[in-house]
Amino acid sequence: MNDLGSILLGYGLVLGGMAAYAWSVIRRGRRLAARLPDEDKPWA
Amino acid sequence: MSITSTGTTEVAGTGTRATRVLGLLALAGLAWLVAFGLLISPEDEVQGDAVRLMYVHVPSAWLAYLAFFVTAVGSILYLIPRTRSLAWDRVAGASAEIGVVFTAFALVTGMVWGRITWGFYWTWDARLTSTALLFVLFLGYLAVRRLQASPDVRAKRAAIVGVVAFIDVPIVHMSVQWWRTLHQKPTVARLDLDPQIDGIMLFSLFVGVAAFTLVYVWLLVHRMRVAVMEDALDDHGLEVAIAERQAEATGVTP
Repeated sequence: MNDLGSILLGYGLVLGGMAAYAWSVIRRGRRLAARLPDEDKPWA
Repeated sequence: MSITSTGTTEVAGTGTRATRVLGLLALAGLAWLVAFGLLISPEDEVQGDAVRLMYVHVPSAWLAYLAFFVTAVGSILYLIPRTRSLAWDRVAGASAEIGVVFTAFALVTGMVWGRITWGFYWTWDARLTSTALLFVLFLGYLAVRRLQASPDVRAKRAAIVGVVAFIDVPIVHMSVQWWRTLHQKPTVARLDLDPQIDGIMLFSLFVGVAAFTLVYVWLLVHRMRVAVMEDALDDHGLEVAIAERQAEATGVTP
């Protein structure tokens, strides 16, 4: 495959970026959930 | 779930069974995207293997459009007095943040693709410039959301900025038709509804769009729940501050 390094870089940046952002949202959610009672979390 | 020493129950953050199923579907979609994009889809006659970047670049751009469209709709619904609710503001804010992330992906993958096909990462072409402007406009929108103000004032300011910033989305999409650009003309989202792309490539592209849409919905649900908790925590902080002021006034320690 030609330009394999660039192609993998593109996929890596997108998938890695997605994973990093998802992790940051989940971590923020866990931190906040620990400080609040269940009535403030309608989905709980 | 466990009970903490402060009496709050510690649930697993923003997750539920439904979001876990959605998350697994999104992961499966991404695995399909990698399989089709890197292995199954053929190389292009002109661009060779570089076309494989299309399967992450185009879905990133489309999902950015979708995210900002949701922001605009949420903003308009907040601005209409009959439908005004902070829930619409949360939808708009959550979607804008995700839209900024997808715009960054579109810009970065476009730069990598441009380096292969054009020989350079960046040029002040109408499509690239309007996309960079879109990124900056919605960064500004997120900055406006962080300004100190009451929830209603913050929501109204953000809604106006969100609607105005969305005007750039059709400009980005039509830029390759309205101006002479280095960026290629649309191959799928064409006005004549006649995609100029090979069948397996078109299918691979739709696998990418479907996978990214699942990721977007999953992120949106989690981000909105984070926003609900941030607002609740602000309310609790306000209640504590009011109680402290009342205690100071009456000379009673809370």
